[in-house]
Amino acid sequence: MVVKLRDAALAYKTLNGIVCIYKPPGVPVRRVQQTIITNLCRDLNALPDRPQEKRIEIVGATNAPMTVKLVPNYADDPLICGPRYIQDDFRCSWATHLGLFTSGVLLLGINDGTRLTYHINVARPTRAYKVHGQLGKATDTYFWNGKTVERSTFSHVTREKIDRIVAHMQLAHQKTMFELSGLHMDSQATYEVASQGLIRPANSKLPVIYGLKCVHFDPPNFTLEVQAVNEYDKYLWTLVHDLGIQLKTSAYCTGLQCIRQGKFDLELALLRKHWKIEYLIDNMDRCRQILEENETLLKPKSAQLSV
Amino acid sequence: MNAIKSSLYRRLPSLMVYRSVTTKKKIPDPDEEEQLPIFKYPVSKSSDRRVYVWGMAETGALGIHLPGRGKRGKKSYRNDFSLVWFPMRSSFCERFDVTQIACGYGFTVAAVKTDEQHKLFGTGINTDSQIGYHAPRIGHPLELLLSPAPIYIPYKSLETKITGLAAGRAHTVILTDNEGVYTLGNNAYGQCGRKINPKEEYRGSMVSYNIKRLGKENINYVCCGQDHTLFITESGRVYACGWGADGQTGLGTYDNQDIPAPVQGDITSEKIVKVTSTVDCVLAINDKGELFGWGNSEYGQIPMTSKCDQVNKSYALVNFTRGLGKIVDIAAGGSFCLIVNDQGDVFVWGFGLLGLGPNVQHSTNPKQIPPALFGRNEFNPESAVQKVACGIGHLAAVTNNGDLYTWGRNRHGCLGLGHTKDQHFPLKVSIGAHVLDVKCSVDHTIAYCKPFV
Repeated sequence: MVVKLRDAALAYKTLNGIVCIYKPPGVPVRRVQQTIITNLCRDLNALPDRPQEKRIEIVGATNAPMTVKLVPNYADDPLICGPRYIQDDFRCSWATHLGLFTSGVLLLGINDGTRLTYHINVARPTRAYKVHGQLGKATDTYFWNGKTVERSTFSHVTREKIDRIVAHMQLAHQKTMFELSGLHMDSQATYEVASQGLIRPANSKLPVIYGLKCVHFDPPNFTLEVQAVNEYDKYLWTLVHDLGIQLKTSAYCTGLQCIRQGKFDLELALLRKHWKIEYLIDNMDRCRQILEENETLLKPKSAQLSV
Repeated sequence: MNAIKSSLYRRLPSLMVYRSVTTKKKIPDPDEEEQLPIFKYPVSKSSDRRVYVWGMAETGALGIHLPGRGKRGKKSYRNDFSLVWFPMRSSFCERFDVTQIACGYGFTVAAVKTDEQHKLFGTGINTDSQIGYHAPRIGHPLELLLSPAPIYIPYKSLETKITGLAAGRAHTVILTDNEGVYTLGNNAYGQCGRKINPKEEYRGSMVSYNIKRLGKENINYVCCGQDHTLFITESGRVYACGWGADGQTGLGTYDNQDIPAPVQGDITSEKIVKVTSTVDCVLAINDKGELFGWGNSEYGQIPMTSKCDQVNKSYALVNFTRGLGKIVDIAAGGSFCLIVNDQGDVFVWGFGLLGLGPNVQHSTNPKQIPPALFGRNEFNPESAVQKVACGIGHLAAVTNNGDLYTWGRNRHGCLGLGHTKDQHFPLKVSIGAHVLDVKCSVDHTIAYCKPFV
């Protein structure tokens, strides 16, 4: 599937769009951006490029016929002026930020794709996470890296109890959905939108959770699957902590993985070993196809939650 | 500046040594963690129940003390405790195991699990002795109780259990397992099931009346309307007594009935499992999930082929509700009716804030409230409504996930949504427990819940 590239200049011109990257945990998004751009520069510079420019030299006495010579132009020599493609040639931006300890799907816009990331950010598609937690311990940061502040028993927690509380938490969030939708509660329009189903929030201020489900329970470990908008890593950590309190025990988050962002899922995301130009160009093509198939991803038409 | 710095550096060299400052979180020492004690939070028993109350508190019907006028501190509840805006846990129900609860007009009665005399408690308005005789001074009975007080009922055996409760405008009906029914309160229209005495004084009355059996059968279920009472016997026959001006007793007349008599019309041959009434319209379902109705039909609650606003005989609504499936729960409000089928779909008809948006005020046919409003969406496809209840102007529904939704007229904050604005479509009430049942009155609502953990 991956196309063999022949020409660096041509390859550079195709690098306009968004790529879907698998961000490893413990690496900040900025570092991911930098790595990808560095890799792109490295690969582009390794590709065959246009021939080096020649300099015309006219030599000889001015009162006699002069000779015209073509000599190598040192100003165009990569050994003298540096590599053809450098990091400053690339613009790169993320659609939504992922925290340091979060892993998973990350959308990056490269060159003209930075505009697309802006539109995706404003359109606020839902993101799905796998939130791993552990019962019986609470930390000061709500995450594994914090200092333990409390330990408690958790033998009374069963799958049924966790499911019941999680379902209740989900519905409580869907009530805030109405409050954040920016609609007037007494209007017919609100009723019509509400009776269709889920509403997207009007601004990016407060997190809204649409789906919350316990997908794995093996005490003390458990995993929640969360579908949300406007969330951030620390918010999801506190969610685990709150769940622990409601379960009459304590809990902390042991890991966070973004498994879907809009229509971009883990299958599309490129692992670190594939952060190479041919894979990135191929990935950019597939992302472009997804965006063409789902126009609402960039320009939602109603307040309805579509993705 | 530099001079000061250099002088400081010379004088206090130890203070100015550059320290490596890091914002990085240090990974804590595991030994320190081992020394922490393991805490055990209290966990509820599976039989524990919680009761949440909200709405009008001034009548005392919530059983929550009002702070004194002069002692209002900064922390008073939104500076106005006459209303409870959000569901509030009832402390009375923490102390006793409440098994049954009923809301009347401005009062509440609750049955507790005990083998002692005081099985029943009441709070709220007591103008007609509907919550018993309470006199701190002899000859001066209380007309308003602000906190729950035990109600004296002359049980024959202390092992009798209360299996049902119902309350109307000013009367209370108590169903027991083997002593029949006790009635308390106002009997001006015969709603207590005994002879009407026009000269009877109800304030400070100590009368309770016992109906052992009806038609040689035990009574299984009781229900109170505004000023009438309905009984279901073991074989599913319905008896009624009380006010009949709108035909709500279903006896074929518009007269008041003092001794309970069997309801006439289409239900005589049916096994009825539930009847419901809040004001003067009555709905009933049989064991096959078919709907029947009688009483007031001014707003088309009981649609008849001939124009008739007071239906005085029970009438089958099978054709009216054709295609809606088996009906599992019913509720009749002041001017509307609410039913739910076995699929968990909710249908409403009548007049008022029906939950169909601000534009729909009136509906002659059952109209479905969109299930998305009860939380059924792609993330939660199995959500279904299981129980419904009605006050006079507000409606409530409980789903299988134990979530409560309310909508309608928000009189004195009885919707529990934190404001007194009317709500045009169902909205979830924030309750931190699994709701099992909900009881609605004129201006207060009570939810009977189970703790999550």
